[in-house]
Amino acid sequence: MQVLMLGSIGLPVTSGVVLLAFSLSQRLKAAGRVERTEEEGKLQEGGAWLYAYVFIALICSVGFSMAAAWWGNGSVTVFQLLDTISIYFHVDETGRLFMTIISIIWPVVGIYSVPYMRREGGEKRYYAFFLLAYGMLTGFVYAGNLITMYLFYELITLVSMPLVLHNGTREAVRAGRKYLFYSLCGAYCGLFGIFFLYRYCGSMNFTPGGTLEYAMVSGHEDIVLLAVFVMLLGFGVKAGMLPLHAWLPTAHPVAPSPASAALSSVIVKAGVIAIIRVIFYVVGREFLQGTWVQYTWMTLALLTVFMGSMLAYREQGFKKRLAYSTVSQVSYILFGLSLMTSDALSGALLHVIAHGFIKCGLFLTAGVFLHYYGYGRVEQLRGIGKKMPLVLGCFTLFSLGLIGIPPTLGFLSKWYLAQGALQSQIPVFSWLGPMILLISAFLTAGYLLPVTINGFFPGEETSDLEHTGQKDKTDWGMGISLLLLAVFTLLPGIFPKPLLQFVSEAATIILK
Amino acid sequence: MNFVCNFPFISIIITLFSGPLCTILSGKWAKRVNEAVIVIVGILSACVLGYVGGTGEAFVYRMGHFPAPWGNEIRVGVLEAFMGFFFCVIMLLCMVAGAREREEEIEESKQNLYYVMVNLLLCSLLALIYTNDLFTAYVFVEINTISACGLIMIRQNGRTIEAATRYMIMSLLGSGLLLLGLCFLYDLTGHLLMSNIKEQVHILAQTGQYHIPLMVSVGLMSVGLAMKSALYPFHAWLPDAYGYSTLSSAAILSSLVSKGYIFLLIKIFYRVVGFEVLTGSKVANVLFVFGIIGMIMGSLNAMQEDQITRMIAYSSVAQIGYIYMGIGLATQEGMVASIYHVISHGATKSLLFVAASGLTAASAGGTRYRNLAGSGYRNKLAGIAFTVGSLSMVGMPMFSGFISKLFFAQAAVGHAHKMLPTFIALAISTILNAAYFMKMVISIYSPRYGGNEEEDASYAVQDGWNYGEVSHKEMRRNGGKVIFMKDQPVKAAALICFIVLNFILGLNSEPIIRMIQKGLAMFG
Repeated sequence: MQVLMLGSIGLPVTSGVVLLAFSLSQRLKAAGRVERTEEEGKLQEGGAWLYAYVFIALICSVGFSMAAAWWGNGSVTVFQLLDTISIYFHVDETGRLFMTIISIIWPVVGIYSVPYMRREGGEKRYYAFFLLAYGMLTGFVYAGNLITMYLFYELITLVSMPLVLHNGTREAVRAGRKYLFYSLCGAYCGLFGIFFLYRYCGSMNFTPGGTLEYAMVSGHEDIVLLAVFVMLLGFGVKAGMLPLHAWLPTAHPVAPSPASAALSSVIVKAGVIAIIRVIFYVVGREFLQGTWVQYTWMTLALLTVFMGSMLAYREQGFKKRLAYSTVSQVSYILFGLSLMTSDALSGALLHVIAHGFIKCGLFLTAGVFLHYYGYGRVEQLRGIGKKMPLVLGCFTLFSLGLIGIPPTLGFLSKWYLAQGALQSQIPVFSWLGPMILLISAFLTAGYLLPVTINGFFPGEETSDLEHTGQKDKTDWGMGISLLLLAVFTLLPGIFPKPLLQFVSEAATIILK
Repeated sequence: MNFVCNFPFISIIITLFSGPLCTILSGKWAKRVNEAVIVIVGILSACVLGYVGGTGEAFVYRMGHFPAPWGNEIRVGVLEAFMGFFFCVIMLLCMVAGAREREEEIEESKQNLYYVMVNLLLCSLLALIYTNDLFTAYVFVEINTISACGLIMIRQNGRTIEAATRYMIMSLLGSGLLLLGLCFLYDLTGHLLMSNIKEQVHILAQTGQYHIPLMVSVGLMSVGLAMKSALYPFHAWLPDAYGYSTLSSAAILSSLVSKGYIFLLIKIFYRVVGFEVLTGSKVANVLFVFGIIGMIMGSLNAMQEDQITRMIAYSSVAQIGYIYMGIGLATQEGMVASIYHVISHGATKSLLFVAASGLTAASAGGTRYRNLAGSGYRNKLAGIAFTVGSLSMVGMPMFSGFISKLFFAQAAVGHAHKMLPTFIALAISTILNAAYFMKMVISIYSPRYGGNEEEDASYAVQDGWNYGEVSHKEMRRNGGKVIFMKDQPVKAAALICFIVLNFILGLNSEPIIRMIQKGLAMFG
C-alpha cells in the first residue's frame, strides 16, 4: 500500500524532474509560434524516445495512483515536519473520485499534446511540467491533512505556471505572473486560515464531519467564521470564484491548448477540492450551516455563475470565451457545495466529472482550430464544419453536455444541483439558485451553439477557408483524444446507475 | 573545569589576534589565514555545543580567575554555542562564495585589510554571543561597527563611501543610546555582569523603586540595538550598504551583523532585564509596532526596487521586522520564533545575495529586472539557488521560511490584542514578498526583451531563444554570457551548501526548535 501511494506521487515527480534536468541541460526553445515548413517539422526536438519515456512514465503513474485509489483505504505518513505536523496521505471517497477523473484526463491530454506540442516547441520542458503536475495533483488529492494539502496546492501552482508561460512571449509571461500572483494570494489566505484552525481544531487530519473543537471555539465564533470565510475566498481563487477570478481569462488563452485544457478541467478543480476539504473535513458543516458565511458563499457562487456566463456570451476570443465559461461552470459546483445537502453535493460531484471531461474537450477542439488554421476568434470559425466535421461534431456534443441536454452527463449534474437547491429549504436561495442555473444554461447555449451553427451552415458568405488548400484531416492523436472525451461525456449520461450510486455514497460520507 | 570550557575564550582570542596578523600578510595568505580561523572557530564552537548539549546546563568561564562582581565572565549555553557555530558556517560560505568578486573589486594593496576586518568582525560577533558582561558587550559592539564599516567601504566608489558614512552615523547613534542605557543600569544596580544586574533589577522591580529610570534604560538599549540592526525607521543606511558593497560583505552584513545585535538584545532581555520585567513594560509593544510597520514597509520598498541586490536588501528590512515582531509579542513562543527566524533568514538571505551575484555575472553585470531576464538559463545553479531562496522567503512548506511563519502565527494565536495585527501583517507581508520574489523568479526564466524588435531579436540570438536548440558554446559566440558550474567550482559548492542548509532547516526544524527552547531555558 505504501509503495503504491508513494509510487503514484514519486514516479511522475521523479520522471518529471529528470526530464526537466535533461531539458535544462540543453538550450530551451520557445518564443511564439515559429513558422516552420513540413521538413523542419519532422526535425523537431521530440522524437520517439521522448514520447516513449513520457508515456511509459505517465501510464505507470496512472497505474500506481489508480491501484492506490481502489485497493482499500491506504494511509501513509511520509515525514514528520514538526512533532505535531506530518506529511500524511490518505485515500478516501473524494480522493478516489477526483483521482480517477484526473487519471483519465491526463493521458488523453497527453496523447493530444503529441501533435500539438511538436509545433509549439519546447516539448521536453512541457512534458516535464506535465508529469510534475500529475504528481503534484496526486499528492494534493491524496493529502490527508491540511498542511500536506497546502504544500501540494502551492506546488501545483508552481508547476502549472510554466505551462502557462510556455510560449515565453511578453503576453504569456505577464499572464503567468498574474496567475501566480492570484494563486499565491489565495493560497496565503488559505494558509493563514490553516494557522488559525491549527489552534481550534482537534487535529489537522481530514475527518468527515470536521474536527473543530466546540469547547475552544465558544466565545470566538465570529473570528473562526471570519477565518473560514477568508479560506473560502482564498481557495476560491483557484476555482475562479468572484471576486478573484480575473486570472482565469488571462491565463487560459495564452497557454498552449492542451495545457489550458488541463488547467481548466483539472487544476481549477484543485480549488474545489481544497474547499471540500476545509468545509466538510475540517470545519464541519454543522458549524457553518445557517451562518453568514454560507449565505455569502452562495451569493458569490451564484453571482459568479451569472457573471461568468454573461462575460462568456460577450467575448469573441474563442479560448477566452471558454475560460469565462469555466469561471461560470466551476461556480455551479461551488454553489452545490454551499447548499450542504446530499442531493446538491451529489450534483456538485457529478458536475466536477461532467465539467472535467467537457471543458477539456472544448479546449482541445479550440486547440485543433488554432493548430491547423491559426483561428482563435469566434467569427473566423464560420464554415469550419465543412473542413472538420468530426471535430466540430465533437464540439457540438460537448456544447450540449455543457448546456445540460440529455443524455449527456451535464444534464444529470444540473438536475441534481437544481433538485438539491429546491430541497434545501434555505429561504430565497432555494428558488433563486435553480433560476440562475437555468438562465446560465440559456446563456451557455447562446455562447456555444452559434459556433456550431455557423460552422456547419456558413450561409452565403464565402469563407477564407474555401481558398486555403490545407489538408482537412486531423492528426490521429487529436482525433482519438477528442473521441475518447466524447465517449466519456456520453456514456455515463446514458448508463448513469453505477456513477450515481458511487456519488451519492460519497456525498453521504462527506456529509456525515 | 573541562578543557572544552576554554574554547569560547580561545576562539575569541584566535580571531582577535588573527586580525592584526593579517595586516602584515599578503592578500593571498590573509585569505588562507582567515578561512583557517573560521574553520577552526567553527570546529571549536561545535565542540562546545556538543559539550553543553551533553551536560545540559550553561557554564561560566571566569577570565583571569577574578570572582564574580569584579571579574569579566564568559557564559555559554546551548543557544550561544549553536549561534557561534552557525555564524561560522554562514561566514565561511559567504567568504568562499565571494572570493572571486573580492579579487575583482578590491584593490590589490587592500586585499589583506579586508581579512583584518572580517576576522575582527567574527571576533566581535563571538564576543557578543558569549560574553556575560554588559560593558564588554558594548566594547565589541563598537568593534563590530567599525569592522562592518570597513567591509562596506573596502570596495571604493562614491556609493559605498556614502553608504559607509550613513551606516557609521546611524550605528554610532545606536551605540550611543546603548551606552546611555547601560550607564543608567550601572547607576541603578552598581554592576556590569549580567547575572548580578538581573538580581538587582529583580529587587527593584519587586519594590517598585526607580521604575521610570529602569524603563528608560531598557528602552534606550532596545532602541539602540534596534537602530543598529536596521529596524524599520532606522533602515535608511541598509539598502545602499548591502546593495553596493562587495558580495561577501553584503552577505555577511545581512545575515550575521544585524543578527548579532538582535541576539544581544534578546540576551539582554533574558539575562539582564529579566523576562517578567520586560513583559510588564511597554517596551515590547513599541518594538512590536515598529516590527509590523517594518514588515510591510520593507516589502513595499522592495517591490518598487528595480535592482536585484537592493531589492534583497529591502527584503531584509521586512525580515528584521518579522524578528522584532516576534520579540514584541513578549512571549516565550514569540522569542523562539524570532530566534528561529534569525537562523532561517541568515541562511536564506546570504543564499539570495550569492545567487543574485551569479545571475548578475551571467547578465554582463546588469542588475535590473530587464537585464536579468533569462539569466536562470545562463547560470543554472544560481537560477536554481535563487528560486530556492525565493521560495523560502515566500514561505513555501519544506523550506525554512514556512516554519518560521508557522511559529510566528502560532505565537500570535491566542494573544489577546496582538493576534489580529500580527496575522494581518504576516498575510500582507507574505503576499508582497511573493509578489516581488516570484516576479524576479519568473523574470530570470523568461526571455529578454529590449526596447524594440531589433533589440529583441539580438537578445534572442544571444540567449538562444527562438532558434531551436542552441548550445552554450554558440550562445557565447553570439555574445551571450554563460556561466557553467565548472567555471566557478568553489562558488558552485558554496551555493549547493546553502541550498542544502535551507532544506535542512526547513525539513528538520524540530531539533533546532527544541535546542532554541532549551537554550532560552538556560538563559534564565
